Amino acid sequence: MKQKIIIISALALLLALVAFMVKDFFFSKPENTNPYEFGLRQVRTGDTATAAFAETKQIRTTLEEIHGLATNPSGNIYVSGKGGVEIFNPSGNPQAKFKIDGSAQCIALDETGLIYLGMEDHIEIWNKEGKQLAKWNSCGADAVLTSIAVRGNDVFVADAGQKVVYRFNKTGGLINKIGMKDPATGVPGFIVPSPYFDLGISRDGNLWVVNPGRHSFEKYNFDGKLLSKWGKASMAMDGFCGCCNPSNFALFQDSLFVTSEKAIERVKIYNADGTFRCVVAYPSQFEEGTKGLDLAVDKQNRILVLDPVKKLIRIFELKNK
Amino acid sequence: MQNRRDFLNMLCRGTLLTGLAATTGVLVFRSVKDGHCTLGSSCNNCKKSDSCNLPEAALFRQTVWQLDPTKCIQCGRCAENCVMTPSAVKATHVYAMCGYCDLCGGYLKPDTKTISTAAENQLCPTSAIKRKFVEDPFYQYTIDEPLCIGCAKCVKGCGAFGNGSLQLQVRHDRCVNCNECAIARNCPADAFSRVPANKPYLLQGIETKPDEKG
Repeated sequence: MKQKIIIISALALLLALVAFMVKDFFFSKPENTNPYEFGLRQVRTGDTATAAFAETKQIRTTLEEIHGLATNPSGNIYVSGKGGVEIFNPSGNPQAKFKIDGSAQCIALDETGLIYLGMEDHIEIWNKEGKQLAKWNSCGADAVLTSIAVRGNDVFVADAGQKVVYRFNKTGGLINKIGMKDPATGVPGFIVPSPYFDLGISRDGNLWVVNPGRHSFEKYNFDGKLLSKWGKASMAMDGFCGCCNPSNFALFQDSLFVTSEKAIERVKIYNADGTFRCVVAYPSQFEEGTKGLDLAVDKQNRILVLDPVKKLIRIFELKNK
Repeated sequence: MQNRRDFLNMLCRGTLLTGLAATTGVLVFRSVKDGHCTLGSSCNNCKKSDSCNLPEAALFRQTVWQLDPTKCIQCGRCAENCVMTPSAVKATHVYAMCGYCDLCGGYLKPDTKTISTAAENQLCPTSAIKRKFVEDPFYQYTIDEPLCIGCAKCVKGCGAFGNGSLQLQVRHDRCVNCNECAIARNCPADAFSRVPANKPYLLQGIETKPDEKG
C-alpha cells in the first residue's frame, strides 16, 4: 500500500514536471524587455499637486497646425499657424478667424492692435479683420523666423536660420542686427541647433533673447550691446535640458520669466536673477515629444501655453493667489 | 475490381510518391547545378560563393544587410541577437547633423547632476563614446567601435534631446552577411533589409548628389 502511494506520488510529480516543461517550451513568450532601456521616466516625473499652478481652462483651436501665441492688453488671445490666424476672447470664445497664405510660425501685436506674423522668411502685417496691410522683403534664403516683439517703432525678429536678431522699423527698414559673435564686445553669438529661438522685451525696455545652444538668456539694449546673461544647462529642474533650450519664454509680472522646454516638456518660472522659482506644468502633463510650447501671459496673470500636439491653448493659474 | 478503400489508399500513396519525387528532383538538380554545394543555409563561409550559380549565392554577392535608422526603435536587440560578439551593429556618428552639444543626450545619462566625463554620468554601458573639447561651448563625440555593442542607448538619447546624429548601422568590416540575419529575424520594427553592396549604408542626414537620389 505504502509503495503504491509512493509510485502514484512520483508519477504525479513527473506529470507536473512534464506539464511545466511543455508550457515553458511551447507557450511561454520570449521576454521583450530591453536590458539597455533608455529611461526618461525619472526626468518625466512630477506630481502636479506640487506645482504652483493649476490648469484651469483649455481652448481648442481649429487651425491645421498651431505655432504662435500672443495676447493683447484686453486679454484677447491670438493664435497663428498653418493657413490662418484665430482670435479668442479671454473666456476662450472664438471672436474671429482669417486665412493667410502659408504658415505663420510666430505672432506679435503692437499697441494699435496690428498683427505681425513671422512667415518662413518674411514678416507680414495684418489687421484683426483679416486684411493684409504689408508684406516685407525676405530676410534671406536661409531665414527661419521664429519670434517677433514690437515696442514703439521697433520690431525685433529672431531668425533661427541665420542665428541673428533683426531690429526693423515699422515700415520694414533694417536698423541693426543684434547678437552676432563679437569677442571684442563679449557677444558670444547665438547657437541655434533647432528652429526654436525666442525673444521678448521687458518692461524696462531691454531685449531678452534666448541663446538656446548655451542654455541661457541674454539681455541686450536696442543697439545690440550685451548687458547681462543667465542660465544653466542641466537635466535637473533648475536648469535647461537637452541640446538647446528653453524653446520659448514669456515675461511674467514685470520681472519673472516663464520658460518652456522640449525633450523634457516642462514649463517653469525663474526669478529676474535667473534662480529657479517654481513649476507651472510638469512633463507628465504633455504628450511625449511635444515641441514648440509657445507661451503668453494675459492681463489676469494667467499663463497661456500653446500645445501644438493637442491643438490646445492651455491656461494655467496660480493656485494660491 | 477495386473497392473504394483501395482506390483512396492508392491515391494517397501516389500523391505522396509524386511529392517525394518532385522534392528529390529539385534538390538533385540544384546540387548538380552547383557541383559541390552542401545546401547549407549560409554562404558566408563557403569558398565557392564567388562562383556559385544558386540564387542565394547571387543575392549574397550583390547585397548586404543594413538597418534603416528611420525605422529603428532602439529596442536593444541588435546587441543581443547578432552572431558576432560584440554585435556587428554599431553606433555611427553623422557629424554633419551633430550640434556638438555640451549637454549631449547621447553621452550623458538623463538624470545626471553634473556635466563631466565621470563614468557614472555616461549613458553608454561600455564607455564607447569619447568626448573632446573643441571650442566653447562645443564638444566632439566619437565612437570607439571595438567597445560599442550596438545597444542604441546613445541613439535614443540623441534623438530625444538632440538632432538624431547618432544612428545604428551594420558595420560591414565586422558583419559576416549571414543569409538569414539573426537580428533581422528578431527586429520588431522590420528595420533590416538587404541593400546593394555598392551602397551598403543607410545613414540619415548625409546629403546625396542629385543623381544618387532614388
